[in-house]
Amino acid sequence: MIFEGLFAAIQPMTILLIAIGTIVGIIFGSIPGLTATMAIVMFLPVTYSMTASQGISMLMALYIGGISGGLISAILLNIPGTPSSVATCFDGKPLADKGEAGKALGTGVVFSFIGTMIGVGLLILLTPVLCNVALKFQAYEYCALAIFSLSMVIALTGHDMPKGLISAVLGALLATVGLAPIDSKPRFTFGMFQLNNGFALLVLLIGLFAISEVMKYAEEVRKEQKYIVNETAKIKGCGFTLKEGIAQIPNAIVSAFIGVAIGILPGIGGGVSCMISYTVSKNLSKHPELYGTGIMDGVVASETANNGTIGGAMIPLLALGIPGDACTAMLLGGLQVHNVAPGPLIYTKSGAVVYAIFFSMMISAVFMMIFMLIGMRLFVAVLKVPKNYLLPVVIVLCGIGAIGNANMVFDTYCMVAFGLMSYLLIKSKVPTVPMILGFILGPMFEENLRRVSQLASSDKFYTHPIFMVLLFATIIVVIFSVRSNRREAMLVAAGEKEEEEVE
Amino acid sequence: MKQNSNYRLDIIPGLGIALIALIYLLMVPGIQTFTGMGSTPLTNHFVPYLWGGALLVLGLYVAIRGFRKRAAFVKAGGRIEKFDFKTAVNEKAEVIASFVALTVYVALMNAVGFVPMTIVYLFFQILILTPKHEWKKAYIPALIIGVICSVVLYYVFRYHLNVLLPQGILKAFGL
Repeated sequence: MIFEGLFAAIQPMTILLIAIGTIVGIIFGSIPGLTATMAIVMFLPVTYSMTASQGISMLMALYIGGISGGLISAILLNIPGTPSSVATCFDGKPLADKGEAGKALGTGVVFSFIGTMIGVGLLILLTPVLCNVALKFQAYEYCALAIFSLSMVIALTGHDMPKGLISAVLGALLATVGLAPIDSKPRFTFGMFQLNNGFALLVLLIGLFAISEVMKYAEEVRKEQKYIVNETAKIKGCGFTLKEGIAQIPNAIVSAFIGVAIGILPGIGGGVSCMISYTVSKNLSKHPELYGTGIMDGVVASETANNGTIGGAMIPLLALGIPGDACTAMLLGGLQVHNVAPGPLIYTKSGAVVYAIFFSMMISAVFMMIFMLIGMRLFVAVLKVPKNYLLPVVIVLCGIGAIGNANMVFDTYCMVAFGLMSYLLIKSKVPTVPMILGFILGPMFEENLRRVSQLASSDKFYTHPIFMVLLFATIIVVIFSVRSNRREAMLVAAGEKEEEEVE
Repeated sequence: MKQNSNYRLDIIPGLGIALIALIYLLMVPGIQTFTGMGSTPLTNHFVPYLWGGALLVLGLYVAIRGFRKRAAFVKAGGRIEKFDFKTAVNEKAEVIASFVALTVYVALMNAVGFVPMTIVYLFFQILILTPKHEWKKAYIPALIIGVICSVVLYYVFRYHLNVLLPQGILKAFGL
């Protein structure tokens, strides 16, 4: 299987697709407002007629390129290209302002590569372990897993927990449309056969993340937006000395592990991992006062962590079918399109594709480093591409993606409806990421809850240790999340009060 | 001023969500249930009731929180500004126009066809996203992008990637 996967990944056509995917991903990641998720949405229909290995390898390349590309605008514009690069701005931009843009970019690129490779290494090691554990899962365990994963929503909703929960419940509510699990009776289909299978995950994601981005840009049309791009950025070699690089290895290892750990948790993406890793790196540093003034350490912490998150987020996706963030939710759609069912049996049913994914991630990481180190000038030039021409084309491609999902124009209507819903939710300060979790976990919860209700009389819950552990973990997560959210809410309220007093 | 808009961000979405939840809950009893052999003690009504109920509670909670914020704001001497619909629409003109363009695009795509509708949509959407003072310069590029993109995408996806994009009026020409 390993050789089959390797063979599939090193086919000239696959390598070409990985290269294209990496370049497009970097471009999407580097332009503020375009994200890795959008790149995956756009290219998903292109992969429909490819083999599973080719298609998913290309999507992986888009993911890795997209997350890595964010550092370019973070360093040169002080605007993170993707949310994953928020913390890169803190030291990347000051380094560039000191005339060391090449060093900042080189550091970001090389440590993005290292972060990806550590993430992939842990992905290869941990996925089979998690699959073996998940093989023991029955209805009780899956039910508890769904509850545990849903409880993570509370952790990622920030200071406004009710609105985060609204988003998650709305997602779960949307997932009840279609034939009910177990008895296959239609629910909320209004007699439309197109709704029998429920809403497609892909269509929901397009609406949530692509359409709303265009609308956000539409809001800014009248505002003058002039980016000042530092075009003199040149990278000599890697941009830093070997000694400087070696000194960063402990920082990089800690950051990569933080990235992977956060990636594994459902719903929490690179945006959080880079911030946490930056804070941890600062706290562990002998010179925390220099953070934010333009030092390599900050860029290393942020970029290694966000790329480590890629491998981390893939672990629950492949082993349990639970995505770690928006990009992996999109990849879940991609896997479904190519008839690859994520879950504990993935190695048995689609082992070659899984290994092809691992190898393609490594190839993509190498391409990403080479392309970004050699072709930085090209990517800097791309920052100037006018988005008013680019975004409408992205929307058309999203529409094709929606139609291609089940060859139904009906899905484009849903896409527009979800886009409108997403825009209204964003305007109401309701986060949209928890909705994906609710949408994916809702059916898993319902199906297994109903099975449990059938089994409960003969198979007692206390004979399932994994179930008990997961429920205990849920209680711990809820308590800690509620406490931390309250603290955050109090800080926000205090900040607002202070602002008012100043006014 | 900040707090003023803050409560609106709770009241309007909260009431909206509560209304959606209520409609959803009212539809649940209409779902057919299976009661034959192998049926589960929890029917296919249980989870919809659970989600609908949770959404209703959350929506009402957020709305009530908003009303409380509003009352606190008034008590503190704040002035409630009347919601100006006209200004709001004017401020979001590009967003509304984008949604209208997108809705018309997908609504007519099946009947008119992918190629003509995409040309029209791209042309208008590009103009909507372009500042008014740059429109003169944008007409020709928008038209060129519209024509090239729609034809190339139709050809590639329909004939090489097996995505059944609607032919519409092109059917008459056998394309």
